[in-house]
Amino acid sequence: MSVTNLLENWSQFRHKHPVEDKPHAEYKWAMSIDLDACTGCNACSVACYAENNLPVVGKEKYSHGFSHHWMRIERYWDEDGREFPDQGAQFLPMMCQHCEAAPCETVCPVGATNHTGDGLNSQVYNRCIGSRYCEANCPYKVRYFNWYDYPTTNNVWPEPMNQQLNPDVTVRGKGVMEKCTFCVQRLTVAKSDARSQGRTVRDGEVQTACQQACPTGAITFGNLVDPEARVGKQWMQQQVELAVDHQAKDQHEHAEQASKLRGYRIFEELRPYPSVMYLERVRESAV
Amino acid sequence: MHRFLRLSVFFAGLLMAMASQANTTAQPLTTADDLGPQVDQPIEFPHDRHAGDADKGGMQINCMYCHTYARRSIVAGIPPLQKCIGCHQGIESVRETPRIKKLFEYWEGSADGTIAAKTPIPWKKVHDLPDFVRFNHERHIQRFYFQQEKPVQEVCGYCHGDVKTMTVARRSKSLSMGWCVSCHEKDHPLDATSTMTSQGPNDCWQCHK
Amino acid sequence: MIENSFNRRDFLKVLGWGGAAVTLSGCGNTSVEDGRELVTSYSEPAEYVIPSIGVYFNSTCAQCDAGCNIMGKVREGRVLKLEGNSQSAINRGKMCGLGQAGVQAHYNPDRLREPLLRTGDKGEAISWDTALELINAKLDGVQGNQIAFLTGGISGHVNVLLKNYIDALGSAKHFAYEAVAPSVVRAANKKAYGVEMPRLRLDKAKVIVSFGADFLGAWVSPVHFAQQYAQFRKASNGGRGVLVQIESKMTLTGANADRWLAIRPGTEGILALGLINALGAGGVKVAADAAGAAKAYTPERVSTETGISVEQITKLAALLKERTPSLVIAGSAAEGYAHGSHNAAAIALLNQALGNVGKTVEFPAALPFPQIAPTVGNRYALHALNDDMAHDQVKVLFNFGANPVFTAPAGLKFKENLGKVPFKVAFAHYMDETALQADLVLPLDSALEEWGTSVPEYAAEGAQLNVHQPLMEKLYPGTRATGDILLALLKLRRAQEYKGYEDFYAYLRSALVQNKAALGGSGKDDDTFWSATLSNGLVKLPGASNAARKTSATTLVFPAPAAQDGAYPLRLIPAVTANMRDGRHANQPWLQESPDPLTTIVWDSWVEIHPKTAARLGIVEGDIVEVASKSGTLKAQAYLFPGIHPDAISIPLGYGHQAMGRYAKDIGANAFHIMDAVFDSETGELAMHETRVKISPTGQRVVIVKDEGSAGGKQMGKKIAVRVSSEKVDLSEEV
Repeated sequence: MSVTNLLENWSQFRHKHPVEDKPHAEYKWAMSIDLDACTGCNACSVACYAENNLPVVGKEKYSHGFSHHWMRIERYWDEDGREFPDQGAQFLPMMCQHCEAAPCETVCPVGATNHTGDGLNSQVYNRCIGSRYCEANCPYKVRYFNWYDYPTTNNVWPEPMNQQLNPDVTVRGKGVMEKCTFCVQRLTVAKSDARSQGRTVRDGEVQTACQQACPTGAITFGNLVDPEARVGKQWMQQQVELAVDHQAKDQHEHAEQASKLRGYRIFEELRPYPSVMYLERVRESAV
Repeated sequence: MHRFLRLSVFFAGLLMAMASQANTTAQPLTTADDLGPQVDQPIEFPHDRHAGDADKGGMQINCMYCHTYARRSIVAGIPPLQKCIGCHQGIESVRETPRIKKLFEYWEGSADGTIAAKTPIPWKKVHDLPDFVRFNHERHIQRFYFQQEKPVQEVCGYCHGDVKTMTVARRSKSLSMGWCVSCHEKDHPLDATSTMTSQGPNDCWQCHK
Repeated sequence: MIENSFNRRDFLKVLGWGGAAVTLSGCGNTSVEDGRELVTSYSEPAEYVIPSIGVYFNSTCAQCDAGCNIMGKVREGRVLKLEGNSQSAINRGKMCGLGQAGVQAHYNPDRLREPLLRTGDKGEAISWDTALELINAKLDGVQGNQIAFLTGGISGHVNVLLKNYIDALGSAKHFAYEAVAPSVVRAANKKAYGVEMPRLRLDKAKVIVSFGADFLGAWVSPVHFAQQYAQFRKASNGGRGVLVQIESKMTLTGANADRWLAIRPGTEGILALGLINALGAGGVKVAADAAGAAKAYTPERVSTETGISVEQITKLAALLKERTPSLVIAGSAAEGYAHGSHNAAAIALLNQALGNVGKTVEFPAALPFPQIAPTVGNRYALHALNDDMAHDQVKVLFNFGANPVFTAPAGLKFKENLGKVPFKVAFAHYMDETALQADLVLPLDSALEEWGTSVPEYAAEGAQLNVHQPLMEKLYPGTRATGDILLALLKLRRAQEYKGYEDFYAYLRSALVQNKAALGGSGKDDDTFWSATLSNGLVKLPGASNAARKTSATTLVFPAPAAQDGAYPLRLIPAVTANMRDGRHANQPWLQESPDPLTTIVWDSWVEIHPKTAARLGIVEGDIVEVASKSGTLKAQAYLFPGIHPDAISIPLGYGHQAMGRYAKDIGANAFHIMDAVFDSETGELAMHETRVKISPTGQRVVIVKDEGSAGGKQMGKKIAVRVSSEKVDLSEEV
């Protein structure tokens, strides 16, 4: 977004509501995560560290909440007070939901986070002044602030560990906000390759790092505009719509039919219109 | 301190942008020159001799003959030493000129032992972008050279200037973000059948990584 | 590959590292370095090298014994990231977190870089020639049977060289030791099925009953099992699979179960027999010997001894009867007792009673090349070596990357006995606890730098030979590959036989090329075969099929329910976590910072206590507690954890290093060092769960560093992680 764009109509990049009259042309990146397949093993999270140059902050900084796991596994127990959690735990991979009407975008004083044409919630490190308003306003708590200059902090990337850094991703310095990008560096390469061949990116051609690692294939990622994309088929089957805040599953009049659906988006009621659909975890009733 | 500085830069940018007028009519892709520093290279490579027009003593070699990575990669890369030697070991007429002797020192090793054999030539950067910028050579060449079939020297010249008249390359465009954007905001002349948008992409993540 | 280290560093500065400085400057300012910085160029790049585009090389993950096939993304001469090889039957393009962290083993700043010879308390750097000559000199005059080799699990051509070297020295003492290997289960499988590691078809099962097998976390081949598990859940063979996990401490697999049952520690075998009994009573045809073994185990008795309700046992038996085939798995929790063999045998018997053998328990083909077959590690080996050392029967000890000073239970007094060995050679990546005790330390190449082959013990589809190849140039000129060191040592003993091989690479290439016909390369010329092998990263091995063998039930003896031990009332369950395992990778910071999935704790040990037990003892979360056994004590933070039996506490293994490196040293406490030396009655394997402890608060309290947040992992009425009952949805209809 150039300064001219900024001046002309900044608000078009800061949605308060998905813009129906401006549908996504070629791409709308989205994800679905099957909680019944997710085992909570953390492979996605480590893959994200490897791909996105995330700093390992150490115990003390971790205790202050300064960790940088763009992809984290949340773990929940049942709250019914039984002696043992005899239905196991509930795991939930949580990362930036790339909301269509992202609460973080509207509060950024300098337009450092805004919407791309592909439906990504972008974060531009150069423009960020570190106000952290976005972090405060994010209902999912998936934005991470660089409280320290990690590249020069002891034992974060000591020689020769720095040789592992991914050259396609900026190593962030002190004072800027960061978060999951849906591996935008991979998307850019895939889009460019496809363009050179005069087509759009095919389903499965590009994977996010977390999706690629996931041993159970719980994560599906793709282009919602593409009718062939698995992610779109999943959304459609689960009757989850991007620009709606009250899905079929929530409609009481179709209760019986709706109960067969597993797809839902977290904090739908806040109307951020997230791009990630979760599929409910299934538990056997016979035991 | 930095934050205040940055804010003021931001507001200064706003004022400047207000003063300038956004342009929507079709414009040529070239821009005025904005010269960079003169860079001393280990070998004074004559671009004019290799790529220059025939009537000026040049051999009109296609840029991509040497800069082979540019059409296949984000970075253009510097031609490997092997590339230079590949031609020059067969060109006896210039074999004893100072520059070619120097070139072969990197390939065969220097007599005094200061340069080992097959040492990459320590060229200095001429066109450097900040590390957070993702500028994709392939994309631009694919679009303008392969899809729109413009002359290669014109396409490279949008950003690199008139290299065929230079000896060692010198930066001739500012390569700043504003300069990039000045092009991406233009309405490029496209043929009527193209499905491509007339403007270059304008979201931050296209170039910022 | 990039020509020299100067260029490599410079490239890094240009493309990766420099970004740090950049974010500090606002719009308009840049760190452009026209005419000042050098630009990296090549002199003779390989054809496939295109700057900024990654090239993938296939290799094999060396982070655990599963042998997942991986590919390394290499750019500008550096390996950046590891991905799964999609051609692999084991991991099918996927990877776990432990495997991903393999790059941090390679780039680790604490790696050893040159051979070190002990002079007093210090290590003096010496040359490789001096080191190898020294070894040779020390071996002269020592009888062959006084030379011992301690390794982990080992296979492939390194194993061949090792065997030959041991043979050349006239020794027969090869101790293959793995601290957390499923050795008792292997022995029980051998008895019950005729093979140590049958193929488990989770994907074919409709019900899985796992007795403490953490197959999604750290057991045998977790990435492979996780994929089968996904198919099992996806209802690919009609009806979503049901997982019942029975264990005393919840593992990652337990956390994913439909039903998790907290069993009294050590009574797993009793429950298995109880289920056979209930199945028989429910009308399932059970073979006479199994029925006989299970006859005494009525639901009521089993319920009393195991703590699992009669209702639950009946339900489980009904489910197993109704949905077939099922699969019953004995894991490390079941085998960790003095009667561990009996537990494992009873569980195998349950599989037979259910008719699963041949359906979900399959038999892998026998390996065609026995000399490269895996020599699997166990815990008996450590016990045996320890005895030899205690009786001064070891004069020279070679240690290949095992770290027994860290992993041996205190009860063995291993470190003391190691001191009796006059000359100890350690092949090591880090200066770990065992290397610190050595007289000569030889630095190894990282797994991403060396050539090699391996044969995974657990065969996913058929047997396969994994290829390990360097993904980049060596970081340090002073390190060597295990294969190269062994070859050099062999040349000092059998010069004639090995003089034709310049290095281990030459040996390996020649060994494979000579056998190309048997390796599926007949008709190809040597170069084509070799490059195809390297580019595939693995060779599928043909093998004769192995028929199922059924043996009758042996006498199974279970101890009577133990009377409460007044002095040490609680059972210690050493937890094998997916990140830490036995602690050999503790110096990889991603693993330290990646939260334990169940407790979400990072960068420290913890003591899991059931809230009920904690309340009784007056312990709250964050209390520093002292855990004391007969063999030792440790202090760690208490974490109140509902997924553990109230009679037990659990401490993860792998923490508490006193050496090794900056990310491992002084992080947490070492649970190995309070373990009693109790052994399985049949196999002589160390019984990992036989330690009894007492626990007391020290009065100190800390805030636990964890990821679950102040709400303690509660959803507070919000719809975040949602669950649905299986009767409401039909997964087979989904995309």
